[in-house]
Amino acid sequence: MAVEIGRTQSRAGGRVGRAGRNLFFGAALVYFCLPMVAVLLYSFATRWTAHVLPDGYTLEWWQATIADPRIQSAFSTSISLATLTALIDIAVVVPAAYWSRVRNARIRHVVEVAAAVPFALPYVVIAFGLMQFSGVVAPQFQGTFPLLVAGHAAIAFPFVYWAVDGAMAAASIERLSETAEACGASPIQIVRRIVIPNISPGLVTGGLLSFAASFGEFAMAQIIGRGLDTVPLWSAEMIRSYSDTAGSYNRLAAVTLLTFAVLFVLSAVVVYWNRGQTVRLLPGAGASTQGDRR
Amino acid sequence: MSGVTLVGVTKMYGQVKALDHVSIDVQSGELLALLGPSGCGKTTLLRCVAGLERPDRGTVEIGSSDVTEAPTRSRPIGMVFQSYALFPNLTVRQNIAFPLEVRHKPRKEIKSRVGELLELVHLTEQADRYPKQISGGQAQRCALGRALAPNPEVLLLDEPLSALDALVRGRLRDEIRRIQQLVGITAIYVTHDQSEAMAIADRVAVMNAGRVEQIASPADLYEMPTTQFSAKFVGSRNAVELAVRDGRVGIPGSFQIDAPAGSNGHALAFFRPEDVQVSRGDAGSGMDARVEMKIFLGATTRLHLIGEADGQPIEIFGDLPSRQARLIEQGEMVRVDVDPDHVQAFPT
Repeated sequence: MAVEIGRTQSRAGGRVGRAGRNLFFGAALVYFCLPMVAVLLYSFATRWTAHVLPDGYTLEWWQATIADPRIQSAFSTSISLATLTALIDIAVVVPAAYWSRVRNARIRHVVEVAAAVPFALPYVVIAFGLMQFSGVVAPQFQGTFPLLVAGHAAIAFPFVYWAVDGAMAAASIERLSETAEACGASPIQIVRRIVIPNISPGLVTGGLLSFAASFGEFAMAQIIGRGLDTVPLWSAEMIRSYSDTAGSYNRLAAVTLLTFAVLFVLSAVVVYWNRGQTVRLLPGAGASTQGDRR
Repeated sequence: MSGVTLVGVTKMYGQVKALDHVSIDVQSGELLALLGPSGCGKTTLLRCVAGLERPDRGTVEIGSSDVTEAPTRSRPIGMVFQSYALFPNLTVRQNIAFPLEVRHKPRKEIKSRVGELLELVHLTEQADRYPKQISGGQAQRCALGRALAPNPEVLLLDEPLSALDALVRGRLRDEIRRIQQLVGITAIYVTHDQSEAMAIADRVAVMNAGRVEQIASPADLYEMPTTQFSAKFVGSRNAVELAVRDGRVGIPGSFQIDAPAGSNGHALAFFRPEDVQVSRGDAGSGMDARVEMKIFLGATTRLHLIGEADGQPIEIFGDLPSRQARLIEQGEMVRVDVDPDHVQAFPT
């Protein structure tokens, strides 16, 4: 009898709990999706005046956006900028994080402080410093793509560092590295055959985060990337050119959606890559997962 | 095959001497166990042989070559860790092939050697599984196969059984010994478990606080510990503090032996429970004692015996064949005797 009652209660409790969950989930979904839907509708709208929905629909803005050579070049600049940033950060961070874990724990403090700088200082300040510095050291690079890549690599590297360092902790990379050494592997063989395959979730996550940070970055691009056209720079110009020809805001909406699509596809790749694994951004978190195996 | 020679190996961690002038000669083909409590330096010593630690002083030789300064990867060693440390991204087969691949051995040779090793460690059926998909015992056998793959001169084992449950532990211990003898490889085996060390080793080096206390065969170590530490650490022993009189020490009515050099007033006498003889009533010789407790252990029964020496109560454990102990009742008065040949005394 008691069991029966208990079961009934728990079923009722479950129903309430599930309803609450669904309600919360629905609210979150609306909160996140409504702006996207609005932007989407706007990008197809002929005019959108006094109604909940646009007055009419057209493909004109999308066609114009896709055909616009300036937008094309902004996208290609931004994508190469973000890709290079992510690749440079991975190439710098993986050996550094590996070395700090395996050989020289002291450089860890340096790396950790360096990783906090982009968050402690506004990007504008960093960008201005970089501009001053390059003005003294290499003035010919000012306003060029390589300098902007260097700047983005500097501000986006903490994302890669945290993701990679967390992945190394989770994989007990020190232990694996020692083992590989005892097996006769050279440092390069260890990194290539043991370290990288075992931290791939962290690499993909870190790479995506730094890609996204660079892709959406505006302040630094504006200061040291003058003369370049990135997607955020183009978007800002569109917003400012208040009285521009009709449809410029609609094209802006289309560009926003394209940006979203790029990042969404990349995120989907990350989720797919990491399926079944929890990605940890905190160093040290999950370091025991290896030992759980029986 | 070749042995390992350690001469005056010293390693400091800040102010702490992890290793204090350790000199050990490991014979070719021998399995030497490094036995000691945690923090005694046994793992540090093994890591010095592997090159994962650099000694501050002293030399490490493998065979006839000095490897003190050589990096780990160029030493002729194979290593097995407590935590298995299999590469999770590689299958059992690939794990075993790894040391051969990094040495750029021909593909054909790798294939046949890996096949051999899979057979040796009985993992042929699990060859294409990933480390996550095999048991702890299988993982450690895979690690053993991987360590042996490049035909190293020395096999280093760092508490290889500690992470396993008791049943698997005993079986794998014998398996490691079988393979070590079959291959005829020199091996150094770190453990804190004295019965494991006794069961597997040709010789046991007892370590304490960064020093080697005693190196002896398991039988000699068990019979004749030469220091107080090894007497305490190896085997379960009675440890009785006794007064020294006229250069002699003993239990009145039972044994008397020469007091150890350097003892003043008191000495600590060690003897094993199975060397304690118990006789009922007034029949035998020895100290009068009362049976405080009787614990049935299977083949033997352990008696807790309370006697008196020099006006002080002393507690002695005696192991008797269970059939004989059946006759003895708890609370009964008995005579307790100890064979003086099996008593070691050390200054307190």
